[in-house]
Amino acid sequence: MRVLVTTLQGGLVQVRVASDTATGGTEATAAETTGPNPIAPEGKELIWGAGSFLVFLVIMRVFLFPRIKKGMDARYNGIREDFESADSTRSAAKSDVSKYEAEIATVRAEAAARVDKARQTLDQERGNKIAEANARIATKRAAAEAELEAARNAVRDQVAAAVASVTEHTTQLAVGKSPDASVVQKAVQQVMQTGARS
Amino acid sequence: MFSTQFAVQKFAQVVSVLVSSEGGEAKPRGFSFPPINTILRWKDVVPGINKVVIIAILSAVIGTALFLVAAMKDARKAPKGSRNLAEIIVEFIEKNIIMETMGKDGMGWTPFLLTMFVFIYLCNLPGIIPFIQMPATARMGIPAFMALLVWVVFNATGIKHQGFFGYFKNVLFPPGVPKALYILVTPIELISTLVVRPFSLAVRLFANMLAGHLLLVIFALLTQALIQAQTQKFFLVPIGVLPFALLIFLTGFEILVAFLQAYIFTVLTAVYIGGATHPEH
Repeated sequence: MRVLVTTLQGGLVQVRVASDTATGGTEATAAETTGPNPIAPEGKELIWGAGSFLVFLVIMRVFLFPRIKKGMDARYNGIREDFESADSTRSAAKSDVSKYEAEIATVRAEAAARVDKARQTLDQERGNKIAEANARIATKRAAAEAELEAARNAVRDQVAAAVASVTEHTTQLAVGKSPDASVVQKAVQQVMQTGARS
Repeated sequence: MFSTQFAVQKFAQVVSVLVSSEGGEAKPRGFSFPPINTILRWKDVVPGINKVVIIAILSAVIGTALFLVAAMKDARKAPKGSRNLAEIIVEFIEKNIIMETMGKDGMGWTPFLLTMFVFIYLCNLPGIIPFIQMPATARMGIPAFMALLVWVVFNATGIKHQGFFGYFKNVLFPPGVPKALYILVTPIELISTLVVRPFSLAVRLFANMLAGHLLLVIFALLTQALIQAQTQKFFLVPIGVLPFALLIFLTGFEILVAFLQAYIFTVLTAVYIGGATHPEH
């Protein structure tokens, strides 16, 4: 059977199916009638195909595949070992880091304790120094106050003596006779005490 | 009425042109699709060896060369080139075929399935290689042998693992099926396992590759016929671009088909072997 596609002048493509006897294609007819069925397997193709495949299979099974697979497995195992090694190294590094951090924490705690202790000592020393200074100040202040009081008393005595003298002299001028000194002094003392209170 | 007369006249013109061209007076324009025999049959290069045989032998040689070169490279280094390609194929067979169908127990079948996949793929691929353009599997010989081999292998595996009677008992009387259904199931399973499986394996591969090959031939001839058409219809020549575009598309598609058919054949082989090894699955 032949499929004919023919064009006409000015026409569309014409297609038809014709038998070989009708087309007169003697060569094609001979090929079709003498040749094997295109669907049926041809002996030489089957045998050579089988032979090729079986040889290929044997070479692959015995020699090539084991070498390829062995290399793949070796490399994969190497990679796996490298991963495991990396994991163990990472674990060791993590352990080192945690140990280091623990040591740092200990050192920091120790440093903080020392600092606290130093601060306490410093505070204590400072308190002592302040107390000593306060004591010294109090002593000096007491001495100064005593000195001041003494000076004040001395001044007061001087003022009292001066006032008594003035009073005696004034009274002598007014009355014509000199008053009793003890009475004048007593009166001056009373007035000065009254003035000091007021 | 007028249109009928016009149609008859045109038909007469067509017939006259066809008859005149077939009568040897003038060379027929257009093209005649050659008989399938002339597309598929190849003359012997040397006695007993034709193009299909050469492709089959070359497939084995190329496959061997690929894995030989790969095997000779240093496996400790990161794989490149042929080594990388070989390892990708091995991993593809192991992970995408064996692990999916047979599980880890099926790893021992890797060399067999790997060889089968590579061989079939390399037999399929020449269908789109310029100047070769003939898949060896588009002839029935190689698919028939491969299917027969698979049939022998999975039956032998079943008998080895389950014993002769155990295997055929599991094949003919699948566990879990109600006994009343055995009347229906047993003959179906018998025919399915022993006849249909190898037949469908062989025909699926052969028919797909043959169909692809014929499609490429058809579109190539149609392109040539349209471009070289002796016609006054000027638009017919540019229309030749359409079958040419389809030819390009189908050529790309045939690359996928070549891979897919090799994959399907190998997967089904793994499924059959896995089923024979573990009947409970």
